[in-house]
Amino acid sequence: MVTRRRFVITLGGAVVAVATQAARGQQGAETPGATMEGDGYIPVRRPPRAGAAKRLTPLERDAVERMLSCPCPCTLDVFTCRTSMPCGFSPRLHADVVKLVDGGYSADEILAAFEQAYGEKILMAPHKQGFNWVGWLAPFAAVGGGAFAAGALIRRWGRRAAERRMAASPVPIEASDDEMARLEAAIRSDDP
Amino acid sequence: MILLGELSLWVALLMAIWSATVSFAGGRMSRADLAASGERAMYASFAFVVLSSIGLWTALITSDFSLRFVASYTSANLPTVYKFSAFWGGQAGSMLFWCLILSLYSALTLFANRKRNRELMPYVTGTLATILIFFLGTTAFSANPYARLDWIPPDGTGLNPQLQNPGMAFHPPNLYLGYVATSIPFAFAIAALVTRRLDAEWLAAVRRWSLVSWLFLTIGITMGMWWAYVELGWGGYWAWDPVENASLLPWLTGTAFLHSIMIQEKRGMLRKWNVTLVVATFLLSILGTFITRSGVIESVHSFAQSPVGTYFASFLIVAIIVTAFLVATRLRDLEARAELESMVSREAAFLYNNVVLVGIAFSVLWGTLFPIISEAVRGSKITVGPPFFNTVNIPLGLLLLALTGIGPLIAWRRASVRNLKRQFAVPVAGGLFLGAALFALGMRDGYALVSYTLAGFVFTTIGQEFVKGVNARRRMHEEPVPVALVRLVARNRRRYGGYIVHFGVVVLFAAFAGLAFKKEYDLSLTPGASFSAVDPYNRTWTFTSQGVSRYDELNRQVTAVVLEAKRAGMAPTLIKSEKRQHVDSRGQPTFEPSTEVGILESLRQDVYLVLHGVSGDDRETAEIRITFNPLVWWVWYGGIIMALGGLIVMWPQATRGGARRRAEGGYVVVMQSSERQAADVPEPPVEAGV
Repeated sequence: MVTRRRFVITLGGAVVAVATQAARGQQGAETPGATMEGDGYIPVRRPPRAGAAKRLTPLERDAVERMLSCPCPCTLDVFTCRTSMPCGFSPRLHADVVKLVDGGYSADEILAAFEQAYGEKILMAPHKQGFNWVGWLAPFAAVGGGAFAAGALIRRWGRRAAERRMAASPVPIEASDDEMARLEAAIRSDDP
Repeated sequence: MILLGELSLWVALLMAIWSATVSFAGGRMSRADLAASGERAMYASFAFVVLSSIGLWTALITSDFSLRFVASYTSANLPTVYKFSAFWGGQAGSMLFWCLILSLYSALTLFANRKRNRELMPYVTGTLATILIFFLGTTAFSANPYARLDWIPPDGTGLNPQLQNPGMAFHPPNLYLGYVATSIPFAFAIAALVTRRLDAEWLAAVRRWSLVSWLFLTIGITMGMWWAYVELGWGGYWAWDPVENASLLPWLTGTAFLHSIMIQEKRGMLRKWNVTLVVATFLLSILGTFITRSGVIESVHSFAQSPVGTYFASFLIVAIIVTAFLVATRLRDLEARAELESMVSREAAFLYNNVVLVGIAFSVLWGTLFPIISEAVRGSKITVGPPFFNTVNIPLGLLLLALTGIGPLIAWRRASVRNLKRQFAVPVAGGLFLGAALFALGMRDGYALVSYTLAGFVFTTIGQEFVKGVNARRRMHEEPVPVALVRLVARNRRRYGGYIVHFGVVVLFAAFAGLAFKKEYDLSLTPGASFSAVDPYNRTWTFTSQGVSRYDELNRQVTAVVLEAKRAGMAPTLIKSEKRQHVDSRGQPTFEPSTEVGILESLRQDVYLVLHGVSGDDRETAEIRITFNPLVWWVWYGGIIMALGGLIVMWPQATRGGARRRAEGGYVVVMQSSERQAADVPEPPVEAGV
């Protein structure tokens, strides 16, 4: 069911999209033959700060765009998508980022503004907080757990093998483990 | 021909059903006649799948737009080569292509094993036939390439422009060849579990098929990276897209298996683990296909949103239940015959290598599925993109690279301190020297420095192994170096082919580390205007626009920009990038515009040009992005070297005098049976054919 708020946001987005399209047709860059998709685009606008000065260099602005996921199915970030894909979203998201940078907003504030509009999905990676920690840590836990289990297994097997060797040995050998290891290594030489 | 093709699809399905039924019955009842009938039915099924494929190819080449598939993926003006490759360009055709490869592999397996592994073969045939039933059934009932349209359109939609690339002819088929090859080891594993013949026999039979799968996946993944790089125009070759991840998963577990199988062959250990890896590799290839085709996860790949996902999910669940039951009821038969003795042994290094490989596979799968898990738990969607995968996988990848160098330096069973010192001294010095040199030259990126240090370590390890082997041959046989080198590799293909694969891995990691120094510039250039940019090697380039041009080609309208690239010490060179609007035979636009990138290639870096639009009143200002991509060619070379090494490993070794030759190569010491029993070492597996 479409709520009133959602309807207003969508309508506003559509109006801005049409306006942006018209403006682009007048003076902006166009992708030859491109068709714009309005579905799902939510304008992210904030009033410029009084006496606003840019707080981000172009490289830092690009870095912000790399942290924003393009809503089209490309699975790329906004910075990468906007030049390579026939995408109706990323050029408009880029325009929003540029305006926020011009308005004197910091990288964190810009990311927060986009997250407020689109939800956490707009970020290329989830925040390191709450349940997301499960996502971030599970791979390391799995490898760490696997390595620990493998180590424990090898130690247990090593003890058993040593016990078997002792039991099978008809004559007690007075030698330390290190000496035995060196003897074995010498016997096997460099057999890989 | 088309009617015959459609009919053949159904007959092939019936033959597969017969094959599965009588093969399992023949195995269960020990009836050789039933087993033979099952095998003949499998050959027949293969023949009918070939006929069905020929039918579809005929429809594609002759532009029979009465078929929905042909109308959806081709147009009358599509070049013939792409009409041919459109076979695997869409859902239904690619399903039939999968059936074609599976039935071909099955027929080859049956033929190669017509005189050996006879106790296993009824179940191998039955399992392969069951998998074929699934794919043929899904094709026939859910993704039938012979489905008709209610009316015949004058022209088809055409093939997605991004698929109109030579890579299309090779990348998907190689991936399919790799995916489908995992079915054969899986079938042997099921047969071995059912018959409880879990000795080295089934392993010998599956090793070469595992290599076939690994080799094709390696080639397919590398070609996919190349295709993405030259065709998609985003300046990279790996985006951690779910479908890319899906292809990596069976490659990772397959690689783990190819390492752990050596421990079972040499020491009779890790028997449960090896069965698990074989099964996991197959299931991951099915899971990957499910992810690709179900639409449950967003992907740039176009197979998404189709009903076959339900079929794949059901098949996956049944396969997991059946194999889990079989493994659980055969645990006693899978007990190890020997045990690891030391943490500092080659077996332990291989085990840790397996932990890391499977860990990376888990992290890739986890990252791919985590958006679904998060949505189910928290109710909100998230994106898991490259920042996550890079954060998690770079440290694990570096650990794997370190183990690639450590493994070959440690002796089997137990290494002494003296042995370790002697083996590690030169490689460690080599790695540290490279790292220090790069640091002195100004490299400050932490991950890149560690990568190159480890790459230097592994490279020196490999070099040391070759030098030792060649010197040993020169001492023993007084051969010149080139002859000694060739014979060293030829007499012990598994070992030295493996080192060549490791060398390819080193080259790949060096290339990946190069990404840390990538530089990008966005600019607008009017005709005649210039722009200066500094590349990662601190050299200044000047790019001058030669203007924007517009022209028509066979099936597209082109807007192109040409830049003249200059730098000190290099003759001026032209680079061109295009935006293409593909049209049908009536001149109507078909797909969204696509990018044709311009690349100035060299071993040190690529200069990568993308035209993303034109602006200005006269539409003569080019909006472009220039990217300096260091060491990209090393990715392709790394893939080629790995594939070459894989081919050497896979190439059949002459059996006559094989043990003596391998001993000469320095790989094994030939032991008598009595010695083996005394040392608690199992009999070595018989090297089998395909």
